[in-house]
Amino acid sequence: MSEALKLTAEARERAGKGASRAVRREGRVPAVIYGNKKDPVNIHVEEKILNKMLSTGHFLNSVVEIDTGNGVERTLPRDVQFHPVTDRPIHVDFLRLAANATVTVAIPVRFTDEEKSPGLKKGGVLAITRHEVEVTCPADAIPDDLVASLAGFDVGESIHISAFNLPANVKPTISDRDFTVATIAVPSALRSEQDEAAAEGDAAEAE
Amino acid sequence: MLQPKRTKFRKAHKGRIHGDAKGGTQLTYGAIGLKAMAPERITARQIEAARRAITRHIKRQGRLHIRIFPDVPVSSKPAEVRMGSGKGSPEYWAARVKPGRIMFELEGVPLDIATVAFERGAAKLPIKTKVVVRLGETVPTAE
Repeated sequence: MSEALKLTAEARERAGKGASRAVRREGRVPAVIYGNKKDPVNIHVEEKILNKMLSTGHFLNSVVEIDTGNGVERTLPRDVQFHPVTDRPIHVDFLRLAANATVTVAIPVRFTDEEKSPGLKKGGVLAITRHEVEVTCPADAIPDDLVASLAGFDVGESIHISAFNLPANVKPTISDRDFTVATIAVPSALRSEQDEAAAEGDAAEAE
Repeated sequence: MLQPKRTKFRKAHKGRIHGDAKGGTQLTYGAIGLKAMAPERITARQIEAARRAITRHIKRQGRLHIRIFPDVPVSSKPAEVRMGSGKGSPEYWAARVKPGRIMFELEGVPLDIATVAFERGAAKLPIKTKVVVRLGETVPTAE
């Protein structure tokens, strides 16, 4: 769990398409803070600072303290909308957090020890089935990422959620099964070599 | 080449491509992708040419996902035929692509190799494109 990110925001008097576009033209991104049984607050934040936070890859699983001018709000970013063509952020949703809130949040997965995996050494491809895993945890203890070691995994084997070292208070929302997060797939080059070997074997048997 | 197995109608209207992509604008399978920046009909031949260029550059190591499918039959009239007498026969298949659509994705390939592969693939396509990378993804670079 990294330190809370800090963001300065200004209140937005007008909501809607025209007002939001005017805000965006000034290099700011419209956003909203909602939740915790309080009224939603329309704000806008600096685009450059937001982009820097987004580039870390764990913005959506970090607590963000927003200084709105009327005090600091402790929030969790719930959604970021991007422009389909330019990929600029066009809106952000922030969920206001209660004191001891438990949240459901998607955590990115990361893999280590790639050089210790016999499957990857043979030319296998790490096919990630879930780039993010949804977990339930206290808002104060959201992990930055879930890390699994690839040591010992061969081609065709799968890395399940049980291979990840989850902190005690972090529980995956899918609890009824040991679901797959990634597999070490056979690359097409290796597959064609195997096919050729099998074909040669068949031909030898036929002779 | 890609084409539908079976269709409800043999011929389709030409149509126009308006607006930006509504879905398929974010990376889903891989860490890096090729995004369309202009509206265009991409033919099955162009998709196949781009696919070959990409897979040959990555030396068939990673995994390529093609996220567009040519489902529009494009018809044309034979040469030296007078106008009229009905619509021509279907000649090839095309995908209608709107700006913002992710067309190809790669996984399990170092970022620098994938970028060059996509540049080579983009040269086979009739539109401007850009390479997009997953936010915060630490794609290992080739040594």
